[in-house]
Formats: sequence, C-alpha cells, structure tokens
Amino acid sequence: MFKAMLLKEFILLLRDKYALAALFIMPSIFILIMSIALKDTFGSDRALLSYAVIDQDNTAESAKLRTFLLSNGRLKEHKAPITNTAQRQEALNGKLHFIVSIPPGFAQNLDTEQSASLLQLDVASDVKQEMLTLVQAELVIDIIRMRMEKIQEELAPFLPEVAQKLEAMKSNRDNLIQVRFNAMGINKKPTSTQQSVPSWIVFGMFFVIIPMSTVFISEHKQNTLMRMSAMNISVPVLFAGKLAPYIIINQIQVWLMIGVGIFLVPLFGADALTLGDSISGLFMVSLGLSLAAIGTSILIAVTADTVEQATTIGGIINILMGAIGGVMVPKFYMSQSMQQLTNISPMSWGLEGFLDIFLRGQGAGAVITESLTLAGFGAGLLLAAGMILNAKMKRGI
Amino acid sequence: MISIKNLVKHYNNHIALDHIDLNVGKGVILGLLGPNGAGKTTLVSILNGLIDFQEGEIEIFGLPLSQELKAIRKRSSFTPQSLALYDNLTVLENLRFFAGIQKIRGKELRHNVEYALSVNRLHSLLDHKAGILSGGQKRRLNIAIGMLNNPELLYFDEPTAGIDPESRTNILETIRSFKNDGKTVIYTSHYMPEIEKICDEVAILDRGRIIRHGLLEAMLHEEKADSVVIELRHSYEAQLQTLARKYALVKVIDAATLMIDGPDATQLGAILAALEAEQIDVKQIRYGTTNLEALFIQLTTQGNCDV
Repeated sequence: MFKAMLLKEFILLLRDKYALAALFIMPSIFILIMSIALKDTFGSDRALLSYAVIDQDNTAESAKLRTFLLSNGRLKEHKAPITNTAQRQEALNGKLHFIVSIPPGFAQNLDTEQSASLLQLDVASDVKQEMLTLVQAELVIDIIRMRMEKIQEELAPFLPEVAQKLEAMKSNRDNLIQVRFNAMGINKKPTSTQQSVPSWIVFGMFFVIIPMSTVFISEHKQNTLMRMSAMNISVPVLFAGKLAPYIIINQIQVWLMIGVGIFLVPLFGADALTLGDSISGLFMVSLGLSLAAIGTSILIAVTADTVEQATTIGGIINILMGAIGGVMVPKFYMSQSMQQLTNISPMSWGLEGFLDIFLRGQGAGAVITESLTLAGFGAGLLLAAGMILNAKMKRGI
Repeated sequence: MISIKNLVKHYNNHIALDHIDLNVGKGVILGLLGPNGAGKTTLVSILNGLIDFQEGEIEIFGLPLSQELKAIRKRSSFTPQSLALYDNLTVLENLRFFAGIQKIRGKELRHNVEYALSVNRLHSLLDHKAGILSGGQKRRLNIAIGMLNNPELLYFDEPTAGIDPESRTNILETIRSFKNDGKTVIYTSHYMPEIEKICDEVAILDRGRIIRHGLLEAMLHEEKADSVVIELRHSYEAQLQTLARKYALVKVIDAATLMIDGPDATQLGAILAALEAEQIDVKQIRYGTTNLEALFIQLTTQGNCDV
C-alpha cells in the first residue's frame, strides 16, 4: 500500500516542473546567491568603510597618520577634494562614511600634554555605532603609535635598549590577539556558506506546502480521497502515505543543498560548506523539520478550499516564518526583542539546530530539543488536520 | 445482498433519509432514481461507509455495516460521479495505484487490471495520461478503477454524466454485462432511458423516502393509466412552458413531450386546440404512464428532473 502511495507521490511530483523548481532549484539558487553576496561580509578582505582626509597640517606626522589609516584593510580612502562645508555634507550624504580632518598644528600638538582634540571626525548619519567605535579606536591607536615613535626617537640616544624594546613592540599588531570562533580552529572563521546553507535548506523544506497542498486539494475536489476512503484507506494511513514520500523528498532536498554548498558554491568564488561532525544530528534536525513542514502543509491543504487559496496562504506563511525565524535576516542582526520573537517560528528552531551542527560543530545531543520540538509541532498539526479532515469527510464536504 | 431497515439520516434539522427500508437481491441491477436533493447520494455514501447515519440497520452480504465495514468494502466498489482519478498519471499508473492501495498484488493484480482494461476497452490508452483522455475515456477509466478488486457489489453514481451517446452506450453495455457475472449493481442516474435500458429493479426516492420500489416492468404496468401523454414531432419548449402555466394539469416532460394528469374531455379538447392554434405538430397521443420518465414525473412531488 505504502509502495503504491510512495510511487504515486513521486510520479506526480516529477511531472510537476513548477513544484520541482520550488523544491530544488529555488533554494539552490538562494544558497548560491546568498553565499556569494555575503562572502565579503563574513571575510576580512573587503573594505567596510570609506573615508577622506582633509590635511590642513601637511607635515610628516600628518602624512604618517594617513599611511597608518591606509594600512587598515577595513578602511578605504577616497581622494575627492573637500574644501568647503557643502562638499563635506555632499560627500557624507553620498559614498563617504567618515571625513578625518587634521587641523593645523597637529604635529606640534602630538607630543604636548594638553587635552585638546587632535583630530576632527565627521560621520555620515547612517553609520552604525559599532563602526564609529572601530574608526575611533583605529585613530586612537594610530595617535598612540605616533606618540610612542616620538618617545622612542627621543630615548634612542640615551637609552638605546629601551628604544629597541619599543621598536620590537611595534611589529605586527595583528598577531597580538589570537581569535578563535566558537567550536572552530584558531583563526578559522565562519563563512557566508556556513550561514546561508542552513537558512535556505530550512526555507526550501517548507516549500513542500505547494506540491503537497496542490495534490491534496485536487484529490479532495475530485473525490479521489473519498474513493480511497471507500477502499479502506483511513485518514491516518492516508497521512502516513503522504508523510513517507515527502520525508524522503525533504531528505533529498537537504543533501542536494549540502551538495550545492560543498561543490557548486566554491566554483563561484565563495567558501565551500563544511559539514560539521554530526551526521546523526543533521538527520535528527532534518527529520524534525520534515514533520513540521509536512504537518503545516497538510493542515493548510485540509483547511483551504482551493489550490489557489492553499498556495497563497502557504506562500505567505512560509515567508512570514522565514522572516521571523531568521532565514532572511540573520538573527544576530536583529534587535533583542526581535530575537525573542524568532523563537515562535519553527523555521528558527530548525535553523538553530542546523547552525549548531554546521557552524558551532556540536553533536546530536545539542539538537535533541530542537528536533523533538519540531517533531512535536508537526505531529500536533497532523493531529489537528486529521480531525478536521475526518469531520469534513463525515459531513460529505 | 443489501438489507436496509428503518434508515434515518439527518443533517442538523434537515432530514435527508426518512425511515428507509430497502432490500436488494444478489445479481440485481437496481436503478436509484430521484430528483435533486432526494437523498440518492446520501444513501449511496452511507452504504459505502463514507458518512454516518443516526438510526436504522444495514446489512450487506449478510454482514452488519457498522461492524464489518472493512470486510464489506473489500467485496464492493464505488464509482463516484466525479472523475476520481489522477490526471497526471497514465491509465496504467492509475490502475496500478488504486490496485496497490487495495493490496492487490502479483497474479491477481495482473488479472484484475487486464480484466478492467478489456471490459472498458482501454488497452490502446495504457500509456496516455488521464488528463488528456476524452470525457468518455475518462469515464471508462473511472469505472475500470472500480472494478480492480473484482467486486460482487458495485455502486455507480451517474457514471455517464456529460459524455457522448456512443461512450454512454459502451458504458451501459459494460454495466449490463456485470449481471452475467452475477454481480449486483446500484445505479443512480437522472437519465431515465438509461435506467430503463439496464436496470431490473427501480427504487424512486423523493424527499428522503422511497416512494416506489420494485421490478421496472411491473411498476410501469401497475400504475393507473389515467394520464395522457402527447408526443410532438419537433421541440417547442417555450410554447409548452406557456401551455403548462395556463393549464395546471399539463406537465412538460421534455421539449417534445407533454403529460396531462387525469384530464376530462373538455380540458383535453382545449389543450389540443391550443396546440393546434400554436401550429404545434402532434406526433402521437397515448394513455397511461408508459415509460419511466412519465412515471417518475407523476410520482415525484417536485415534478422536475435534470433530463
């Protein structure tokens, strides 16, 4: 019986090119695009902030400050001439994030003990606070370096050993701090692929709503369900007959997306996906997600009257769950209250489970809660759908 | 084969079946007739265990329906009015799927599929998707699916709706042939000539009650022959409706047939004069309810049907 149902669902799905596109091609393309688009955001090579310098001091010291700023890969200098307030405002409304003004007397004031400001920083209004802090820190470091160099020069004739020590201290500030991302190797970083693949796997899995509800509503409308019922197929058996093929379809989706992350994404210049260490954890999360997605699909299919209704409602629910659940905008970009809100979306539970495995390198034990919550959610929806369908069929609807 | 005693079904305050008693013997083809809303589909759905009922007892194959539904379903089949099949599966895939879910396998599967194909003349369409078949071919496939479990009892709910005359004839021949195999058929239809052509017995349902049940031949002879049927050479629908509004005794059976209930000579004369005045060409005038359609219209209170 299950073999017949399985075969039927597969044939119907394989002959539905739109469903195939929604289930397999769309999430693959999302993974590819997002991994490539966000590649530099997660990497360190791209200049994040652009700035200009107005040097009114024109000394060796002011030139040195400019050199220091240039050596920071996160900052990119624009050499547009800025001579008046209007140009300054125009530049900050356009492509510049900061303008560093070096006033006359900068070199002179560098080694004095006065507490007056050495530099002026004009900031574009859309610059985030953490970016401002980054630039301020960079400028403070550069000023301290320049002051240390001055002290070093002054000490060199009298205390050459101390001067040598100071010289040694200057070398390669990047090596001073060792960075280790949680559950990753020293100086290894999470990549855009590690972030994108789990998100779009989750999103893609929920797209079973479209083919499932299309087939289910057609079956209902054409009385195929009624005919099956007259052939001794009960509602639980009917649901089990849907569950089995779509769990397999979901698993195929998961491994296809993983394949895209491992093999296809690197061809376009982004980092390849690494799987983590827990295949069993991966199966647990994807199985829980399957149940949640199929439960949602069947409940929508049972309550909607037409295919159009089901696909519209299904599409909206999918997008809402994705937006709330951190699929479209990563959770860490959200405010605290929004991060709390993500917890209501089953997509968020699945996403956290996948991130535990892909990104945080955790094992099956860490994803038991997410997997069981998802499975329970799916089972609850299936139960509700079963009761609704039973009632509808008994009333001859 | 089927025994129904005191069956009651109501939807909230509406009575769909009102204390129905009906017995159908083995090998009988029973035509279930009734105007829209009479309760035909409700009755067939109850007999297939698809909807519940409030009162009464039903036995099929000598087994109580409430307790032995699964066993009864294995020996019967239901062909709904709608085309309950998968448009995106081929004819063979449809048959294999519906056989598969009934756990029909191996030799039995091959034999039953072959039987369903040959009886319904579907061999040449095996690899065609159901969605591209003609209306008649789809109807035949719909029936073929209902034959896969080699049932002893078959229910057909308007199996010829919306198809061409040739396909209808083929389907009726197929259903009639089931009698030769000793199968019992419950056949609901609005097409009276179909019922006359294939059924041995007729049960007429009206407002949830069976108002007549018996052998078709006997029923037609037993009815009082106090009606006059006027058959016309051509269709005159508008004129006949005008006539029916003018004379309360006149019932329009179709665009070319009138029936007059118990007319006296004066009224009959007036009606014939009115026909002549409208230049309506009369083909034949006869007494009595000589066909099922006339009997049906005479018996049912609504006096209309979807012919």
